[in-house]
Amino acid sequence: MDILGLVVLGLVMGVVFGVALEKSRVLEPGILVGQFQFRTFTMLKMFLTATATGLVVIAAMNGLGWVELHPKALAVGPVLIGGLILGAGIAIAGACPGTALAQAGAGYRDALFVIAGGILGAMVYGYFKAEIDGALDMGDYGNLTFADLFGVPFWALALAFAAVLVVGIVILERWRSWISDLGADGTGVWGSGSGSGSGGSSGSGSAASRGGSPAGATPHGAE
Amino acid sequence: MPSLTDRVWSPYVAGVIIGLLQIPAFLLADTALGASSSFVTAAAYVASVFDAGASQIDYFARHMTADKYMWQSALVIGIAVGAYLSARVSGSLRPSFSAAWSRLVGVRGFWGRSAMAFVGGFVMLLGARIAGGCTSGHGISGMAQLAVGSTIAVAAMFAGGIVVASLFRRA
Repeated sequence: MDILGLVVLGLVMGVVFGVALEKSRVLEPGILVGQFQFRTFTMLKMFLTATATGLVVIAAMNGLGWVELHPKALAVGPVLIGGLILGAGIAIAGACPGTALAQAGAGYRDALFVIAGGILGAMVYGYFKAEIDGALDMGDYGNLTFADLFGVPFWALALAFAAVLVVGIVILERWRSWISDLGADGTGVWGSGSGSGSGGSSGSGSAASRGGSPAGATPHGAE
Repeated sequence: MPSLTDRVWSPYVAGVIIGLLQIPAFLLADTALGASSSFVTAAAYVASVFDAGASQIDYFARHMTADKYMWQSALVIGIAVGAYLSARVSGSLRPSFSAAWSRLVGVRGFWGRSAMAFVGGFVMLLGARIAGGCTSGHGISGMAQLAVGSTIAVAAMFAGGIVVASLFRRA
């Protein structure tokens, strides 16, 4: 596919991705941070579902010999330390690199600063890549997958893992419905969505919100 | 059936849609879903404005020229467009920043929150580039390929997020 085709493809796929992030409310800072606080599980439910779906379709495409896998390398130091730093950044930003763009599109203007900070972070890494990678070098085991590790066909292990994830998702939903995860107005925050209460109103109104419509009745723009 | 005018879809509907996006990603773009490399592409172009030598740095040069990074940059722009359309047609356009922030950290003003957002974005992308991927590339795509490194990255990502979020108040 030529470069113009790839750009058009990327835009179309991105629009679909962005709609899914907005509708599922996974772009909400209250939902993302709420996952790390074990208050809401929307993000985990979406993540596990996307992973299980990906496992099935990649197992099919790879099993039929249509596509190669593109696993990232197992560079122990970088994935461990980088992952920790990334997670800390996600909590402070209230966004992942992808959802920051979705937030900006949905109207959250603070996300523009997440994006600007992110560009600077990527730039600093680019300039100091050799030093950072050198300092974190703890061995690189290449593009290793669990299928390689266990010596089984990728498609078989992928389908088995997808089945395990589906069972986990069903248990998660039975334990806690996705509607109850959304909070007032789908923001992952319970109680009034006005943003004026800093702690004092926590708990009040939560019972009503949890049982109520996920769509919420109050407009988002009210500040 | 989920409709664009709905204000909320279940995370399962959204997850299946995002998972299915791996089909065009692998078949047509010959790569997996990802987002954080596009920040390197943007950074490389910004750096080359100030630093004529930036495009000589291999890491930047690669992200300025390779097809898959052009595809990914288009993808993240599309994400913003899609979220805008989705929020617009469902009457869910957001305010300048989430009400969650005053609950979580007590920040009330837009500029205070924006300073925090900038720091968060910096830390996030620094970590993502060190790890070689983010919640999309290591998370959704790496786990879906049973990559050992991505599994470690995701565990570390959750650990880092849980530690920092435990310092916040509960919204």
